[in-house]
Amino acid sequence: MKRMNGKLLLLFIAMFMLAFVVACGGNGDTEEAGTDTDDTEDTEDTDGSSDDGGASDGDGEISGDLEIQYFVGGYGDSWWKEVISDFQEEYPDVNIIEHAGPNINEEMRSRWVANDPPDVVYIDGAGSSETQMVEDGQLMNLDEFVQDIELENGDALLDSFIVEPATYDGEIYSLPLVFDTWGTWYDRALFEEKGYEVPTDFESFMSSMEEIKEAEGIDPFVTSGQHPYYFLRGMLNPAFGAAGGDELLADVTTGAEGAWTSEPVVEIMEKVERMAQEGMFDSGLGALNHTQSQMNFLLHDNAFVPVGFWLPNEMANDIPEGFEFGFIPSPMQDPGEPYAIVPDLRPLAIAENAENPEAAKAFVEFVFTREYALSFSEHTGAIMNLTDVDLSQSDDVPVYLTEANEMINDPEQVQIYHMPHPMSADLEQPIGDALMSLMLGNSTAEEFVEAAEAAAANYRN
Amino acid sequence: MLREYTGADENDSIRWTKVSEMMDGKPSFLRKSDWMVQSSKQKYIFLAFCLVPTFIMFCIFTLYPLFSGLYYSFFDWSGASANREFVGFDNYVRLFNDAIIPRTIIHDYFLVATKIIGIMIMALFFAVALTQLKIKEAPFYRIVFFFPNIMSVVVIGILWTFIYNPSMGLVNSGLEFLGLESLARPWLGSETWALPSLVLPSIWAGIGLFLLMLMGGISNISKSYYEAAEIDGATEWQQFWKVTLPLIWPQIKISVLYIIITTLNGSFILVQVMTGGGPNNATHVMGSYLYQQAFEQYNFGYGATIGVMILVLSLITVLFFQFLMRREKVEY
Repeated sequence: MKRMNGKLLLLFIAMFMLAFVVACGGNGDTEEAGTDTDDTEDTEDTDGSSDDGGASDGDGEISGDLEIQYFVGGYGDSWWKEVISDFQEEYPDVNIIEHAGPNINEEMRSRWVANDPPDVVYIDGAGSSETQMVEDGQLMNLDEFVQDIELENGDALLDSFIVEPATYDGEIYSLPLVFDTWGTWYDRALFEEKGYEVPTDFESFMSSMEEIKEAEGIDPFVTSGQHPYYFLRGMLNPAFGAAGGDELLADVTTGAEGAWTSEPVVEIMEKVERMAQEGMFDSGLGALNHTQSQMNFLLHDNAFVPVGFWLPNEMANDIPEGFEFGFIPSPMQDPGEPYAIVPDLRPLAIAENAENPEAAKAFVEFVFTREYALSFSEHTGAIMNLTDVDLSQSDDVPVYLTEANEMINDPEQVQIYHMPHPMSADLEQPIGDALMSLMLGNSTAEEFVEAAEAAAANYRN
Repeated sequence: MLREYTGADENDSIRWTKVSEMMDGKPSFLRKSDWMVQSSKQKYIFLAFCLVPTFIMFCIFTLYPLFSGLYYSFFDWSGASANREFVGFDNYVRLFNDAIIPRTIIHDYFLVATKIIGIMIMALFFAVALTQLKIKEAPFYRIVFFFPNIMSVVVIGILWTFIYNPSMGLVNSGLEFLGLESLARPWLGSETWALPSLVLPSIWAGIGLFLLMLMGGISNISKSYYEAAEIDGATEWQQFWKVTLPLIWPQIKISVLYIIITTLNGSFILVQVMTGGGPNNATHVMGSYLYQQAFEQYNFGYGATIGVMILVLSLITVLFFQFLMRREKVEY
């Protein structure tokens, strides 16, 4: 019996070791495979660039499978369907495989991890990060390719962007497709009916909120407390831009030393503290998610919500009768100054390991036209990142968008500021946490900037 | 069957004799005499037949992920690409310097403690009531109490998010109806109240299963003990303490351990759905923080390190409670 126990034990140990070897060995293999493909990446890349000329010259050579990954969120997918079917007509030899949906970033993650990515990717929505993808070397360097792209009337694409592509060490890895911007929404119909003032700067914002708070008996301002970065992106970034220009914006985004404790930042955070003290924030916003906060706004539980252009399209089925969307850039600036806007761009990119880079390039080139820009606004109620698109020529473009578009193009009314790249989640998360505490009235502006500076120091290290 | 198997430790032949005795009346091939003199090779084949498939499954679905998790905890990896860098114990150093980690641990054990107390007291109370008090509607209540267990935790989370909604939720409107407006507050949106607010749905969702376990234990107790106790003049309360409780101790012990394990490993679902760990990390438990680090902040390696911490803490807690709740087996 003892002998048998011994043998059994041996058997178990052997199996255990096997499991361990499989567990660790397997990883080693994938890693090696990873480096292997890294080597081939370079050659593939050069292949891609040399074929590039051919791709843009004619359509005959473009064939094979083309895999496109695109996130479907507030903008819907009707525009994508139209573009893809047009592309298919233009290039009949290409077999297009779409990977789309609201969870597509999660669903495709294993493909990216396994170094078997789709060819073209539209980077948007939860679970995607352009910065992360560039840092991980997943995106193709488009620096040379983009120089040759022209719009339908011959304008160079690089000269026709509203906002230029993000650069990483001076190189371009993605092309900004969707121009979204966070701003503050209100119900125009309600404001007209009750004669509330549409804010033009921070002081008028406060007085307008005070008036609404009294007259309607509601907390006037709502945002998603589960995602405190909504307030950061929607209200604070424009405020930083207005107060300190691109320089301050870059410093807070990259967590530069002393940026968060600098005077303009402290002043802005004192404004937020004032909003909290005077009870302007919805008292329950701490638990609200994305949809709940937008729903609260539509139900007139609150009067202002800071989100992007996706709002009307995303909530299309829940809009109460008589509700009319009004959009202003977030009014955090001092009186007498123009509004500030910080664009939020959703880029299109090609995977470094794309299996069909020629077709991918052809598709990217195909998408960037003013015609599709107009159709994008009709389909989604948002703007594509191209200048000189005349939105007023179409009746399908919503009023708020034509107005916003005009406003954005008038430097006297609105100044546009740029972030070098989106803030890293490692910095945005702790700052968002401290921000939540400030908005709930549990900490002061001073405590907030200390916490944010500490988070920035942590991030730099 | 168990008794025969224990016998095998002393003498193999006894075991097989007894088995063959049991097989009387079964088809003749099961009673063949060669079973009595079974060679050791056959024994191993039989054992391997029973163990190997299960063990292979166990290796693939439990050991492999376990060791992979351990392995990844030594890497700096975003979890979204094939690039990763070996960083040794850096992630563990970071774990010990992360100010949010102690808070998540405290939150987890707060939920463990409140859930054990809440679920065990209520499940025990209901179990005794439904078995001893001869209530006619007992089967109905059993179904009602068990109902939350067949609902997905995500659904429970969403349901309770509505119940706690500050403006249209049941809790605040109930308080207002009772004239207690001063007690109404944004439950899930408050740094102070969010975590305690998660306890109620956890208990509500947990009672049913343990209620059934305890009821099973109670109904196995022979009625004669209660009759004897009654003759001796014991009150209902004394009967509960002296008869019921000692005899269902094994069930209580298993229930408590089960609550600990499911809370430490599973409480993150409710947190994720109801508060997302906020406001300002007030409700983050270890699991939800792991999720945030691994999938929202792209620190998969660090997330794996938190996973290792959860494993170690769960093991320590379970061992501690096993030691704490050990008791001589009671038999009357």
